[in-house]
Amino acid sequence: MAVLSKTKKQPLSAWFYVLAVLTTVGVGLSIYRLVVGLGPTTNMSDHYPWGIWITVDLFLIPVAGAAFTISLINYFYGREDYHSIIRPAVLAGLLGYGVVGILLFLDIGRWHQFYNIIVPPLNYHSFLEEISLCVTLYTLILVIEIAPVFLEKWGINAPIKWINRSIYIIAGAGIVLSTLHQSSLGSMFLIMPYKLHALWWTPALPVLFFLQATYTGLGTMAIVLTLISRSRKIPLDRKLIQRIGQAMGMNLVLYLAVKGGDWMGSGEVPLLLRPDGFGLLAWLEMIIGVIIPLWILFSRLVVHSRGPFWAGVFALIGTFINRLIITWIGLAEPSPISYMPSMIEILITIGLIAGGFLVYSIVARQFNLFPDHQEAH
Amino acid sequence: MPPINRRQFLKIAGLGLGGALLTPKVACAAANGGDPNKHIGMLYDSTLCVGCNACTVACRDWNGTPVELDETGKYDMPYELTADTWTLMQIYQGSEKHAFVKRQCMHCVDPGCVSGCPVHALEKTANGPVTYDADRCIGCRYCMYACPYHVPRFEWDETLPLIAKCTLCDDRLANGDGPACAEICPTGALIWGERGNLLEEAEGRIAAEPDRYVDYVYGKDEAGGTSVFYLSDVDYENLGLENFGPDPIPKISEETGNLVIPTILIGGPLVLAAVRSISKREGWEESWPF
Repeated sequence: MAVLSKTKKQPLSAWFYVLAVLTTVGVGLSIYRLVVGLGPTTNMSDHYPWGIWITVDLFLIPVAGAAFTISLINYFYGREDYHSIIRPAVLAGLLGYGVVGILLFLDIGRWHQFYNIIVPPLNYHSFLEEISLCVTLYTLILVIEIAPVFLEKWGINAPIKWINRSIYIIAGAGIVLSTLHQSSLGSMFLIMPYKLHALWWTPALPVLFFLQATYTGLGTMAIVLTLISRSRKIPLDRKLIQRIGQAMGMNLVLYLAVKGGDWMGSGEVPLLLRPDGFGLLAWLEMIIGVIIPLWILFSRLVVHSRGPFWAGVFALIGTFINRLIITWIGLAEPSPISYMPSMIEILITIGLIAGGFLVYSIVARQFNLFPDHQEAH
Repeated sequence: MPPINRRQFLKIAGLGLGGALLTPKVACAAANGGDPNKHIGMLYDSTLCVGCNACTVACRDWNGTPVELDETGKYDMPYELTADTWTLMQIYQGSEKHAFVKRQCMHCVDPGCVSGCPVHALEKTANGPVTYDADRCIGCRYCMYACPYHVPRFEWDETLPLIAKCTLCDDRLANGDGPACAEICPTGALIWGERGNLLEEAEGRIAAEPDRYVDYVYGKDEAGGTSVFYLSDVDYENLGLENFGPDPIPKISEETGNLVIPTILIGGPLVLAAVRSISKREGWEESWPF
């Protein structure tokens, strides 16, 4: 993570080279996978048609949701003090979506006609189609939002004026598209009432996924801000990070209320007490991802910068456990054949994420991501 | 299936999210395929089946799917449906009696796979079969999860794999022929025809010999009904035919889409505009918690 902090004058750190090697390995294996197919390179099968890539996609999308949550607070709640983190948040969001996009391209079997996803006739009843359209459009919006960082450096000022003038429409469209696809990621599993475990299958999936995206995005922002301030030796804006913590706490309370209300309303509470592993997983997910962050955020710890940071760390782990269950463990088919990701699947995943960090560090070195802080120096 | 109160809960939550009230249009994919009782389907009577496997051989012949050899080059019956085995004969061996069961695509009246497929690669045709279009398919495998019967399979070993499953021999139906498996069945355990007629026939057999059969035609209402019916003298659960509720698999998914997507698209901008106009007022910063 140290690469996040590099300023122009500092030499490249060892991390940079590690990321470069991992990315190269990932890209090479990705090409190999496209040439030889999914069978020889992954451990996916008819019993587990989706593997670690889908889990990572469904985790990275709410993490990259930091961009949309910060946009919402900055542009629409009118909190100008969030302005200083808009650029890093949008760039991180864009790179997150970029990694997801490449992973999805590698994941689909018939990648040579991937464009069918936007070529009619499209099935608007399919949540997967709706997600594909939203994510494609939202990625374009993130590109427009981040474009001034590059355009100002290259001295192309006309489009910047245009973007600044219509920023509320652009950011607003991004927020609406995010609300749609973050919730639809959950709706995608509504069509599996007999496959997804009862503790996780609920008509409230879209609401749960949306709330999870908001607090996961805020948690990501708390983590990133803390790390940036530490490595750049910039004093942390305590008020800002405290506000992020409070917003996160509010969304966690809502999530807990919907999740608990659903379990009670549908009479699934006994499943939580059954000693079959799934009940235990549900407790693990709720304690790590919701209860511990809430305890931190509603105690005096929230006023310390470490409070929101650790709340974010636990919330992210909880979200990962949740997505792991929904895409994998809780979807297990009644068959003795199980799934563990192959080394190639893991190396491609690590390589692409490393690529995301690599691009971020290069942009952070070459372009002005922190205009406000620059002036302070 | 979930009780109504969960769905009401969702609606309330959806309204809170978007802040706009829209009447949900209840989707019905079955409408695409016309009257379900006119669809072509099959009836499999387990009590008449002798497990000869003529049906599985006829399926391979017509569809050109290769036999699955073991490591020593010998052929044996596969354990489950695969990309090369679109229909399968299995035996349930209970403590008192045994029963055969034939597996293949159920050709649901309102199929989950068709509702889930993002690109219309899977379609419910007007006369019943659920068909596959390789030129549309992107290989996302959502259909494999959307199918409650675990039917669609994937050609994992191909560079550009296809989804593989029974098509009810759609390409034979066009010529007035029946599905290859049904036409070859020597004992009459497997017959084909219009769904409505097959259901009448099945219920007639139960009425004529109530002691011979479990008193229910599997497929009549399962997950909105199927075009392949089963009769048996052992519980259907034993044959791997699960007890699904009467709601079609896509129902909640499509109803949620019809409610939530327009709500967010229309309500989202309205809420954003309202928040923005409120946030411009004096003193707003103090009243907002974060």
